[in-house]
Amino acid sequence: MSEDVVIKIEGLWKRYGLPLPEFVHTLSDLIRSKKTNSTYNGDRRPMALRDLNLEIRRGETVGIVGRNGAGKSTLLKILAGVTAPTRGRVEIHGRIFPMIELNAGLHMELTGRENVRLLAAVMGLSRQEIDAKLPDIEDFTELGEWFDKPVRMYSSGMLGRLGFGVAVNIESDVVLIDETFAVGDLKFQNKSLARVKEMRESGATILLVSHSLETLQFVAKRGILLEQGQLISSGTALEAINAYETLVFRSEQGRLEHRVRNRITTKEANIFGARLYAEDGSTLTEIQTGQPFGIEVDLRLNRLLEKPMFSLGILNAAGILCKWNISAEDGLMEPGTCNRYLVRAWYPENRLSNGAYEVHFAARDNASFETLERVAGILSFAVTGPGRARGIVSGKCQWEFILQDACSENSDSISD
Amino acid sequence: MQKAGLLNRGEYVNVSPKSRRWARFGTLLYALVVRDITSRYRRSALGIWWAFLQPLILMLLFNMLRGFVNIPSDGIPYILFSFAGLVPWTFFTNAVAACGPSITTNAEVIKKIALPREVFPLASVAATLFDFFMSSIILAGMLIWFKIPVGIHLLWLPALIVLMTIISFSVGILLAGLGTFRKDFIFATPFLTQAWLFATPVIYPLSTVPEQWRSIYMLNPMVGVVEGFRNVLLKSAAPPSEAFLLSVLMTFVILAIAWPVFRKLSGYFADVL
Repeated sequence: MSEDVVIKIEGLWKRYGLPLPEFVHTLSDLIRSKKTNSTYNGDRRPMALRDLNLEIRRGETVGIVGRNGAGKSTLLKILAGVTAPTRGRVEIHGRIFPMIELNAGLHMELTGRENVRLLAAVMGLSRQEIDAKLPDIEDFTELGEWFDKPVRMYSSGMLGRLGFGVAVNIESDVVLIDETFAVGDLKFQNKSLARVKEMRESGATILLVSHSLETLQFVAKRGILLEQGQLISSGTALEAINAYETLVFRSEQGRLEHRVRNRITTKEANIFGARLYAEDGSTLTEIQTGQPFGIEVDLRLNRLLEKPMFSLGILNAAGILCKWNISAEDGLMEPGTCNRYLVRAWYPENRLSNGAYEVHFAARDNASFETLERVAGILSFAVTGPGRARGIVSGKCQWEFILQDACSENSDSISD
Repeated sequence: MQKAGLLNRGEYVNVSPKSRRWARFGTLLYALVVRDITSRYRRSALGIWWAFLQPLILMLLFNMLRGFVNIPSDGIPYILFSFAGLVPWTFFTNAVAACGPSITTNAEVIKKIALPREVFPLASVAATLFDFFMSSIILAGMLIWFKIPVGIHLLWLPALIVLMTIISFSVGILLAGLGTFRKDFIFATPFLTQAWLFATPVIYPLSTVPEQWRSIYMLNPMVGVVEGFRNVLLKSAAPPSEAFLLSVLMTFVILAIAWPVFRKLSGYFADVL
């Protein structure tokens, strides 16, 4: 094993709860007069982590992403030594310090100062270390006179600041951070981030779980993606975030597919199917950012349609209509007869930003304004790709930063 | 490399330098005890007086009981006889009762930070020890009032206090460990200590226990402690040797069972809290 590996995880499995021999489960089932499933062998709780292998080196900053219940917090808990691994081996070299939802250990009847002493002791500081750190912590929390008042009088932001103030002032080889950046106002958040950066520069190894992908991208250099207890992607932080977003978009797409279909139908037309296709005509399941694509609908007309009018709408996961096109307006005027057709719509400029989408399709008779077919959610797809496009529309943006007027020496900063 | 067999257990190794681990443990214990003591009586009108009141009220109750039932007291004023027994006994009951939920009340910390989990029941016992010393002041006052001569045997007191603390801690961690998984153990604690009271010579002397039962009776480690307190304080004598030795032995038997059980269970506290 190399010198600078600080965390080494081999074949780690975790199932919550006390591991008990099978007969205990059978017995407790008997007591609760449940029917024991005789074919079942072994424990019945699910595995929170499955066969995880990971090595983290000194000074690395690793962001852990994944959906709810993917096992992120479980991983941190095992690393912190809070809960025992079920199988496998976890080896840690150095002092490990978990910064997990810090205001938890606070005692409401005690003052801020008393709580700081308690928290610092809980976090493993000796009395001399606490005495040395106390002024720094008092400064950092910015509580002023509130520092000597009972904690039960605090606002939630003040509570968070107190916990975080202790946590960031503790020196450790490995720091575990779970969703702690959300405390306090913007100024305090910036201060906390700066402190984390400082820790990073001083060579601490940092593991970070946060739902704020911006924070992750800012702090972490390496990223791993967990899904259902398994490590499914490992690389740079940006790669992990992209893999995570793709995963989310795909699952959103899956959810869109399962949505109840809203359909108006007549006997005058039948829809057989729809697909997404690429420039070469091949079927697509997923579109890259900016990639041109087409939508094809396979249908049969059961009567003569002199002025057919097809419409296609593309909606994002939030249900916002992002694109809406009507064939007649785009110049498709051909009449249809009692035959089977392929309706194709090509989008040469794909401006959809990354995300999950669904397609609504309708076929009308433009002469009588009769609706023959209307299907909400005929198709669903995901747009994925590198880059963290936000908003509804993707596309380039060119920025400029122009000096307008040179300010004089003494007015170069806005006072606080 | 480990194969993922059904019987394989996970392994967690931290090879950090464990410098001054004991100093840190001490700091934490101290901080928890201070928290327990200072926060316990805050927002209560009588405050610290509750530490005195509890054994006093019990003593008065037993003295009223003695008005109806004849209880011998080895020729010592009964009020003194019962109080000398009640002071260590109250400590034992309160310490055990405080240990039981000590894991659950510190759940938020235990779920987040790896600590030697023993520190929480130990802090509960230590905080109860504070109450014990408070009620000892009353006991000392009574000894002076009744002009009881005390001698060199008072040197036994520290040993008795340590023994009493270890018994309470052993029983306490067993209940704390099991009670974290099944609340039933915590609900059962008051009944357990109540029954235990009748099996301990607190309100009656050891001499009333029939001779043939005495060797079994003395397997109760609190017998040696309570009788020891009385001998040392009221009779100016050493603790009864047989009862005391059996008490020490039984204490270590209980500790040798309770501690490994607690250790084993403590790895999974965070899973069920």
